Amino acid sequence: MNDFFELVVGASASGCIYGLVALSYLLITRPTGIINFAVGEWAMMAAFAGVVMLNDWNWPYPVGMAIMVVLMFVVGWLTERLTVRPLVEKGAPPLAPILSLLGMLVVFREAISIGFGPDPQPVPAAFGFGRLELGWLAGSYQSFFTIAATLAVFGAAWYFFERTLHGKSFEAVAIDRRAAALMGIHLGRVTAISFAVGAVVAGFAGVLAAPNVSAHYLMGMPLAIQGFTALVIGGVGRVEGALLGGLILAFAEQMTVRYAPVPPGLAMGVPLLLLILFLLVRPKGLLTAREGRT
Amino acid sequence: MKNRHLFWTCRALQAALLSAMVVSTSAWAQNTIKIGMITDRVGPAKPYAEPVAAGATYAVKEINARGGILGRQVELLVEDDQGRADISATAARKLVDAGVAFILSVSLTPATQQAQTVTLESKTPHITPSNGGDTLTTQVNNPNFWQTGPLGSTQIATLLSYAANRNYKRVALITENSDLGQLTNRFFKAGLEKAGIQIVAEEMVPRGSTSADAQMQKIRAANPEALFMTGVVTPENTLILRSYRQLGMKMPILGNYNLSVPVYTNVAKGLMDGVTFVDAFDPNKAETKRFIEAYKKDAGVEPYNLNGYGYDGVMLVADAIRRAGGVDKDKVREAMQATKGYIGVMGAVGAAYGFAEGKRTGFDTNGMVVRVYEGDKQGKVVHVGSK
Repeated sequence: MNDFFELVVGASASGCIYGLVALSYLLITRPTGIINFAVGEWAMMAAFAGVVMLNDWNWPYPVGMAIMVVLMFVVGWLTERLTVRPLVEKGAPPLAPILSLLGMLVVFREAISIGFGPDPQPVPAAFGFGRLELGWLAGSYQSFFTIAATLAVFGAAWYFFERTLHGKSFEAVAIDRRAAALMGIHLGRVTAISFAVGAVVAGFAGVLAAPNVSAHYLMGMPLAIQGFTALVIGGVGRVEGALLGGLILAFAEQMTVRYAPVPPGLAMGVPLLLLILFLLVRPKGLLTAREGRT
Repeated sequence: MKNRHLFWTCRALQAALLSAMVVSTSAWAQNTIKIGMITDRVGPAKPYAEPVAAGATYAVKEINARGGILGRQVELLVEDDQGRADISATAARKLVDAGVAFILSVSLTPATQQAQTVTLESKTPHITPSNGGDTLTTQVNNPNFWQTGPLGSTQIATLLSYAANRNYKRVALITENSDLGQLTNRFFKAGLEKAGIQIVAEEMVPRGSTSADAQMQKIRAANPEALFMTGVVTPENTLILRSYRQLGMKMPILGNYNLSVPVYTNVAKGLMDGVTFVDAFDPNKAETKRFIEAYKKDAGVEPYNLNGYGYDGVMLVADAIRRAGGVDKDKVREAMQATKGYIGVMGAVGAAYGFAEGKRTGFDTNGMVVRVYEGDKQGKVVHVGSK
């Protein structure tokens, strides 16, 4: 029984990281329709920002995180301005920005690989690597911190979309771009902010995952795949779907490994089966946009 | 008028100088011995391929500083296969067309395997100084290909020899899903089964995982006497070691040669103490000491085991070409196959490279050493050989 509750904490932390990557996808794809597979590389870049600020320069964690947020906001904003907007303004087909962002994925990865070298680098955990036991629940400090930080990010995202006028403008663009523009909503600004905030959210995933897995130039792609799977499971309609999708994926992965009587090589296929199942049964994901709001 | 004359004289001299430079450069290029190297500069093998390539590059520099091979300077032609098998074969073809005398592959195992299709067909001598997969010389019957990295079977034999007095009966295996990780796991498993040791748990952490808790819990539940780590990818190995500490596990860890890469002292701080690992590098061996000093003087940084693999690879090639008396492919092939008793930088004191009759794996099966981490530092050699 102890193992189970210990695993609940670990799987929740992994699910939170997947959920954050899924939220990064969602923030961009909802108002723009663009799927940005470079979100994983954004997470990787933030992890390396963590290497520099938290490990090399030994800055306090809150300061490092605050600067990471600003840095990733700029990276996301620049990505949109330089690689997406020129294509949209020239009337390129919807696939063009997706391909352009795939190109950026390679640029980001190679830039980090050349700048920091191929070896993995350490990123300190927020509260060190100790172990916390709360009744039956037990896990590392970093796991509990990851869960708390993720809930804070999702809470902020939910509040933004559900309770603020700017959030409603994002939703309006997601529902009908042309009508939203006619209502005076600045489409370019919404798109730029969606990329900038998406990069910040992906950055949180990178900085939270890196203390365990280390920062390395190949860490982006697996996160991008796991996040996308979580997005498909949870659905692109609602913010909380991204978190739900991430948690379902992580629990499926880790509970299968721990308890299912399948060889280790086959256990990693179970989440992919789950993805296919969700696509067949609920192609729009578990949570869809509320009817009343459309 | 005088100025114009001076102008044309200068132009004529410039042209003559340029022509002389072009002629001498091309004459130098024609007279060099070309060695090709296929590395991975952007793919998954980059963290390992680049240091091996750096060691090979340094070896060429050292050879040239000593007058080259048979009086001819050595030219190293480098190709990047991105760790991809298909590109590796293309790179091998490009190097063959460029007239290389030998090809070194320092990329991923499947990429090296694929490059063999070209060296088999073109009869070009081909060596991998670092790949440890046992099947590289057995899956393709390529008489032009040699492997001098320590095999997975040698690694497990050395670890079992070290642990003989512990008399393990029940052990666990954990790996990741890279090609070499899987291959190393296969040969560790075979070695353990051959020794009559029961494998009570066998787990795999997929690349890109964010936690290894589930796998390590399963191992903890099986209660093995020791845990053998066969993965060769640092982030996943770090994840395994972190879970091991977090879950309060106590059984000894015995790791493959990937744990000998010094990156662990940085990226897995606080996790390494007591971890036993097998290595092919003994910093106290005379040849190794000399290499460390010379490399450090040239590059400004201290070399480690991966640099040594590349260095030894090029030196073995140079030795074969020297004995062949030139770059005739058949003679070089015969000379390389006849290599015996070559003492390199890698391997324990007294270990030597050599190819037994009908074999193309050249690392001394008694040439590996066992070391134990003391804190975050790699400790001294505590055991030598597999007997």
